[in-house]
Amino acid sequence: MDPSKSAVRLTVVSNRARPGHDAPFAAYDLGLAHDEMFGQDGLPRSHAKDLYDTLCTLPVAELERRQQTCERSFLHQGITFTVYGDEQATEKIIPTDLLPRIVPGAEWDKLERGLKQRIVALNAFLKDVYNDGKILNDGVVPRDLVYGSKHYLRQMRGVSVPLDAYVNVCGTDIIRREDGTFVVLEDNLRVPSGVSYMLANREVAKRAFRDLYRGYGVRPIEHYGQELLATLKALAAGFRDEPRICLLTPGIFNSAYYEHAFLARQMGVELVEGRDLFVHDNVVYMRTTAGVKRVDVIYRRIDDDFIDPLAFRHDSALGVPGLMNAYRAGNVVVANALGTGVADDKAVYSYVPDIIRYYLNEEPLLDIVETYRCREPKALSHALENLDSLVVKAVGESGGYGMLVGPQASAAEREAFRAKLKSDPDNYIAQPTIQLSTAPCFVHGGVEARHVDLRPYILHGADTRLVPGALTRVALKRGSLVVNSSQGGGSKDTWVLP
Amino acid sequence: MLSRVADNLYWMARYLERAEHSARVLAVKLEAMLEQTPEEATEAWVRVVASLMWPLAQPVAGAPDALAYRQTLDRNQPSSVFNSIRLARDNARQVRELISTEMWAQLNTLYLRMHAVDADDEWRAQPVQFLQEVVEELLLFAGVTDSTMRHGEGWHFIQLGRYTERAQAVSRLLDLYFGSQPVDVTQKLSSARYFDWLSLLKQCTAFEAYCKVYTAHIEPAKVAEFLIFDPEFPHSIRFATDRIQEELSHVAPGAGGARRVQAERLAGRLKAQLDYGQVEELLAGDIDGFLQGIQSSCKQIHQSMYDAFIGYGVDELLTA
Repeated sequence: MDPSKSAVRLTVVSNRARPGHDAPFAAYDLGLAHDEMFGQDGLPRSHAKDLYDTLCTLPVAELERRQQTCERSFLHQGITFTVYGDEQATEKIIPTDLLPRIVPGAEWDKLERGLKQRIVALNAFLKDVYNDGKILNDGVVPRDLVYGSKHYLRQMRGVSVPLDAYVNVCGTDIIRREDGTFVVLEDNLRVPSGVSYMLANREVAKRAFRDLYRGYGVRPIEHYGQELLATLKALAAGFRDEPRICLLTPGIFNSAYYEHAFLARQMGVELVEGRDLFVHDNVVYMRTTAGVKRVDVIYRRIDDDFIDPLAFRHDSALGVPGLMNAYRAGNVVVANALGTGVADDKAVYSYVPDIIRYYLNEEPLLDIVETYRCREPKALSHALENLDSLVVKAVGESGGYGMLVGPQASAAEREAFRAKLKSDPDNYIAQPTIQLSTAPCFVHGGVEARHVDLRPYILHGADTRLVPGALTRVALKRGSLVVNSSQGGGSKDTWVLP
Repeated sequence: MLSRVADNLYWMARYLERAEHSARVLAVKLEAMLEQTPEEATEAWVRVVASLMWPLAQPVAGAPDALAYRQTLDRNQPSSVFNSIRLARDNARQVRELISTEMWAQLNTLYLRMHAVDADDEWRAQPVQFLQEVVEELLLFAGVTDSTMRHGEGWHFIQLGRYTERAQAVSRLLDLYFGSQPVDVTQKLSSARYFDWLSLLKQCTAFEAYCKVYTAHIEPAKVAEFLIFDPEFPHSIRFATDRIQEELSHVAPGAGGARRVQAERLAGRLKAQLDYGQVEELLAGDIDGFLQGIQSSCKQIHQSMYDAFIGYGVDELLTA
């Protein structure tokens, strides 16, 4: 036995670091939230123990060095997003935290079943509201809520969608309540992004904690590209054995362009912009040096509004004129289908448990956050009375825009929101402020607790699948509950255990 | 290959060739200036900068140092080396999934260096050194490209872009020396004129190669012969037009004969002009017209290549 090693081990045992007291956890606050590493007794949870031990043994300088290596790797690979300022656009790397967030296998399996149930029900809902509208006739979901949603597309009524799979890629935001249970915060059913960061984080975390990674036996996620390709391919099975698939991007000025190029490379499909495609006789073609080629499946990363200037916003220069007609004619598959935003509306969100019961005849496996629909007078008055403790959100928005976090807002901001709520209550919902769970992050030369959420990516076509992993988004500001990258959030790797 | 992608690769290569050419010309001129009187220097600079600058909205004027800075790092000067590299990188970013990671890293690093806040200081301290390093990085990029990228259609578009730009740049530069005033090829060169011709060779990275063929005895007629007609020197016009003709036959392998015939005919004709031309004939006749003819041929080849593979009308393809 190597004596120097056993000496290190002994020191660790005798100097067990406590959160809030000892380095490197001296600045670690255990607040009201559930903590991913420490239990209420201040001791590491069993699944976090190995990570905890590693952090206790590694010198801070070494952690710093690994963090820098990881940031340099992001910069060189061009894993950046563009921030538009006055004259010059600058490229910044996505803030990434070195320490993995660990999810025990049993917890993940339960989550996975809940997510699959949810996406199947939401797809059934979309098929229904764009065809017969049974759920509306039965009064389970109010008719005006669906038809009045700004994401409901009349153009999609009666359009047949391959395999009835409207949502093919879904990014669902999950949070942990104070009691440690996972609940759904929102679904992203339009063009969810961030999956490339899930994969990039894995690459750097694996390098930074080699032995730890192997010791934990983390479930792999690297096959995401293949799974996505298989899902897209199955959508065209009805009319083409070897479909030509392409990924439609708005172009290099889009903040997610890195992800588009990355996924195209991972899948080995053509990365196209709107100007590369055109429609003739309701068939979509792309323009190549050897002439024009027919396109069968478009994995689009452009919003509904911009995808076809003839059908939607006529000022869009990003889309493909005539695409909607080719789609209606069944000559091309578009994934996700158009008009899916009606099901991730924040007011519809509150009905999802009823939607699951209605179509699947099952109890929902995943809870949602208690939601007050301000369109209902009682809920509105409750919201107005408790603005300082609630989170208020505009129903059609995403990305952390159009929302008020009551406890963290100034009195003036609350009054401004009160006026908005009164004048247009239908447009808002309110939820209690949840202390998202905290996870250890490497900041300011130590390990501190930061609030995190969890975004797994669910694929749905001929079947439903997801890779055992997720993007863990981090609110890098101490105490902040907003994790969106557009609002100063970062991300970290998520290790799902066997 | 997507037409847009071919376009991006082609222009990436053209901008890089343009940056390399400008940087080398400026470096050589900054050094040559030390041997010249201020009047000679100013006169020479105005001519050279005029050949590098576009769009030429107003007549070129100013001190050599200011002109050199403008052509190197000025972000408001469309033809500056900085902007050429920036545009090349913009094109590369659009085909990030096609070029190799090594190519991207090399180009990205060069761009970040030109973009850095201390680039101006670096320039002021040692402008020639700065330009030479830019040239070296660009040469490195060409090497990385050749050894890490598949030599498929995309690579051929890159070569096509590089040599189209080179043929035009070298002929424009030669036109400055031979086009404006008749060159008396028989007269012995004064020492000032000698330096002028020497620097022309250096601007085309041709001095050493020239010496191997003709020895260090510099004569305008031989310089012209070497830079226009040498079949083996990579910066001669003939070498470039050979490559243009060759690369054109490799791009767009799936496109039928009818679509490519026009571009290939023009390239073949240009190649024949260089293969069978003679420097004595040119110097006795219209060398100015000849050099300008090369530039307009390159433009025509570019245009018909575009019409055939990139910006083509789709109607006849769909009905056929």
